Amino acid sequence: MGTGGKVRVEVERSILRAADEASRGIRELLRERGIYAINLISSPGSGKTTLIEALLSRFEGKGGVAVVEGDIETDIDAERIRRLGVQVRQINTRSSCHILPEQLLRALAEMDLSGTRLLIVENVGNLVCPAEVPLGEDTRVVLLSVTEGDEKPLKYPLVFRTSDILVITKTDLLPHVRFDVSRVRRAARAANPEVEIFETSAVTGEGLPALLDRFESLGAAKCTSSASPTRS
Amino acid sequence: MHELGVANEILNIALSESDRHAAKKVVSIRLRVGVLRAIEPGNLSFLFGHVARGTPADGAVLEIDEEPVRVDCPSCGVSDARSIPWECPTCGGAGISATGGESLEIVSLELDA
Repeated sequence: MGTGGKVRVEVERSILRAADEASRGIRELLRERGIYAINLISSPGSGKTTLIEALLSRFEGKGGVAVVEGDIETDIDAERIRRLGVQVRQINTRSSCHILPEQLLRALAEMDLSGTRLLIVENVGNLVCPAEVPLGEDTRVVLLSVTEGDEKPLKYPLVFRTSDILVITKTDLLPHVRFDVSRVRRAARAANPEVEIFETSAVTGEGLPALLDRFESLGAAKCTSSASPTRS
Repeated sequence: MHELGVANEILNIALSESDRHAAKKVVSIRLRVGVLRAIEPGNLSFLFGHVARGTPADGAVLEIDEEPVRVDCPSCGVSDARSIPWECPTCGGAGISATGGESLEIVSLELDA
């Protein structure tokens, strides 16, 4: 051109398009292989790894579970899972505060997913950034422990808006902390009227069977639907 | 500092549009950013200025339109909020639903042809 003068160009384009494309790639890979995937998001220390351990005990002997652990530096959580004899892959995100879909896609390409039916992704402990980035998961789960306070849904609304399941953890501590479960339920529903809410304690086991049942039925529903003869 | 990744994506898109139009310079970039995105406009502008240095988008101004959350209240109608509230910010009523506030888009670019 070089004629000088200003031009306005209408773009109307999502800034996260590259990430959206990678997450579509993951979704496609999971669909082709009939794998049901869960993305776990929470603050550090609210019980993601403990929930994975509970899930693994349920799925023991039922074949293929694979776990991807996201962490800024260490592989401490991955080691906990590896001890249970499950395929686990560590992603160290270093300067990034969430797992990038591009990273997960690369990790999945390097894993042996033959026979895998359930993929659990433990995101980096953080309620902000992981909420912004879809990983092609079937079910997004946000955990909130009762020690964190009942204002989290107001402070970190996007993760509560975008999660399918809210797990309130450490309910055995309710007598000792100021945490109004009904307030959290109300706030979570305002953010996402469809959210399913479970109250659990890994210490007493309360609420865990119902949550694990739910994961199992969601996984079964996906495997049934992807087993239908739609393949070309 | 998750604004850094966003700043890089904005730069990539702005430069590819600038190339496509054979422009000399990106003058300004208009964005629509939902209040739920936890993006601080000052941080984003600062980081964008940093990543754009030495490119045709060096010095481009980010014009950020914030998109509020829309609160629908069965008692008093519709209002805007900066977050998802527990109850209606206008009348305090229950049973609200909250939508919007999640946009993260480049709306338009101003290029110097």
